[in-house]
Amino acid sequence: MAAEYPSTRARNGVSVLLRVLRIPLSLLLFLLMWGAISRWSDLPPFMLPSPAAVGARFMRTWRDGSLLYHMGVTLSEVLSGLFVGMAVATVMGYILAKSPLLEQILSPYIIASQAIPTVAIAPLLIIWFGPGRISKVLISALIVFFPILINTILGIRSVSEDLYDLMISLRANPSQILAKLELPAALPVVLGGLKIGATLSVIGAVVGEFIGSDEGLGFLINIGRGLYDTPLVFVAVFALIVMALGLYGAVIVIERSVLRWRTG
Amino acid sequence: MKRVALLLLAAALILLAGCTPGFSAEATQERTPVRLAMGYRPDIQFVPLYVAEELGYFDEAGFDVTFEHMPETEAAQLVGAGELPFAIVSGEQVLLAREQGIPIVYVMTWWQEYPVGIAYASESGIRTPADLVGKRVGIPGLYGASYIGFEAIMQSAGIDSALVELESIGYNQVEALYQGQEDAVVIYVNNEPVQLDALGLVVDVMRVSDYVHLMGNGLIASEETIASSPMLIAGFVEAFSRGIQAVLDDPDQAYEIAQSYVEGLAEADEAVQRSILEESLTYWQTDSIGYSDPQAWINMQNVLLDIGYLQGAQDVSQAFTNLFTAP
Repeated sequence: MAAEYPSTRARNGVSVLLRVLRIPLSLLLFLLMWGAISRWSDLPPFMLPSPAAVGARFMRTWRDGSLLYHMGVTLSEVLSGLFVGMAVATVMGYILAKSPLLEQILSPYIIASQAIPTVAIAPLLIIWFGPGRISKVLISALIVFFPILINTILGIRSVSEDLYDLMISLRANPSQILAKLELPAALPVVLGGLKIGATLSVIGAVVGEFIGSDEGLGFLINIGRGLYDTPLVFVAVFALIVMALGLYGAVIVIERSVLRWRTG
Repeated sequence: MKRVALLLLAAALILLAGCTPGFSAEATQERTPVRLAMGYRPDIQFVPLYVAEELGYFDEAGFDVTFEHMPETEAAQLVGAGELPFAIVSGEQVLLAREQGIPIVYVMTWWQEYPVGIAYASESGIRTPADLVGKRVGIPGLYGASYIGFEAIMQSAGIDSALVELESIGYNQVEALYQGQEDAVVIYVNNEPVQLDALGLVVDVMRVSDYVHLMGNGLIASEETIASSPMLIAGFVEAFSRGIQAVLDDPDQAYEIAQSYVEGLAEADEAVQRSILEESLTYWQTDSIGYSDPQAWINMQNVLLDIGYLQGAQDVSQAFTNLFTAP
């Protein structure tokens, strides 16, 4: 047994090292593959710039502050849209979960609304609510609404009847049932919807910026395309990816924090 | 012996020419497949190309043309990369693309003037660019032909464009001006004013062409195609020019032809669509179809430099050629 100890320790060490390095290694591999394709493929640099060209463009936009500014604009639209969409979806989801009749009446309209491409209604929202940030927040809210609504309904309906009986036997009032039973029980599923919504909200805001905006990462992509500045397009796209990953990670952190009681 | 060698050399060159890959098919009898990239969607404004196809001008020149619709920035890149032989793009795109190393050249002028303007209600009191100071002006975005046209007007009038409240509203100019959300809107002069007129709003327009001569839409090809297949370009330019002339000669016939190319045109408001065509015709009228005015390229470069779209001046004579157009 004593002879196995060092090898187990070594194996654990490698395992830890791999866990720590897997993201940097996969990123490095991605950059190497990208660099190889841009170097040896037939695609000219204005169609597929090299990682170095994109890196240089990133530094320029970082230094002049334009990337941070446009990221800030998009992030504020995304967070506002996420907040509005989540608030409306959870309240409405709770009501629909409690009222099957209302759900039967409204479901066809809610599902139909999901069949409408966001790019088709975005111009209308810009006409109705003006070209400012409100229209982008609304587009973002609309796109996150559905997954959070559905998960809220599922979450509330997943609460066991036995637990309701227990709460009633303990003479809990409706608000106590909501706070002590339904919300904690539904939270894991609702947070699952929020994870999807967080990434979708980025798409919503950028679609709005594409249609009509003079700020934000969608605008930056439009400028990059208009000026044939493909590295700038890549910089903005990567900024969007980072933003979506950050939001997703934030929801996971929130999830772990508020659901700590489940794992003890 | 020397004559035999020369004959053999000539025969080898002919054989080699026949084997040359790419767009060249100058010596072949079969029609050459040609993909032409143009605007977002089929539209009455592309009618000279539909007419050239329908009346057999492309066919006579040996082309089997396919129309493809895409944004002009993508079209320019595909032409520069050798993926497409031709595209219709606006003049500024050539200078912007060339600055980024995209080897495209403007080979034929179609629109004789830059078709952008600023529209406003006739009763608004706006008359000159100076009247726009402090006013809300809706624009599709701070990029592209609309923005360049707006800046060109303000620059030519000596007005600081920063004093105008520009709002990016997407392609909602008609609705925005009609609803009074904007005091003025940047538009294509052959399109939105006609639609606003149809809605009963009487508008006036400041045209870019009233202030400065810039390059409008035209045909582009790559430097490589110009070098390797000049006859291909010459043939296409000639067929396209015949299409333009045919539309100018008989707009009614052109409108009828366009109906089989533009989905929904037959059901659309004919008065509006005909007005769009008539307004467009004024921009195609010329004694020398296809000719590029060098001064218009210099003007365009000055506008782009002024708004910071170009980082440095370039030799604009490399961006266009009149080689393929009749003098």
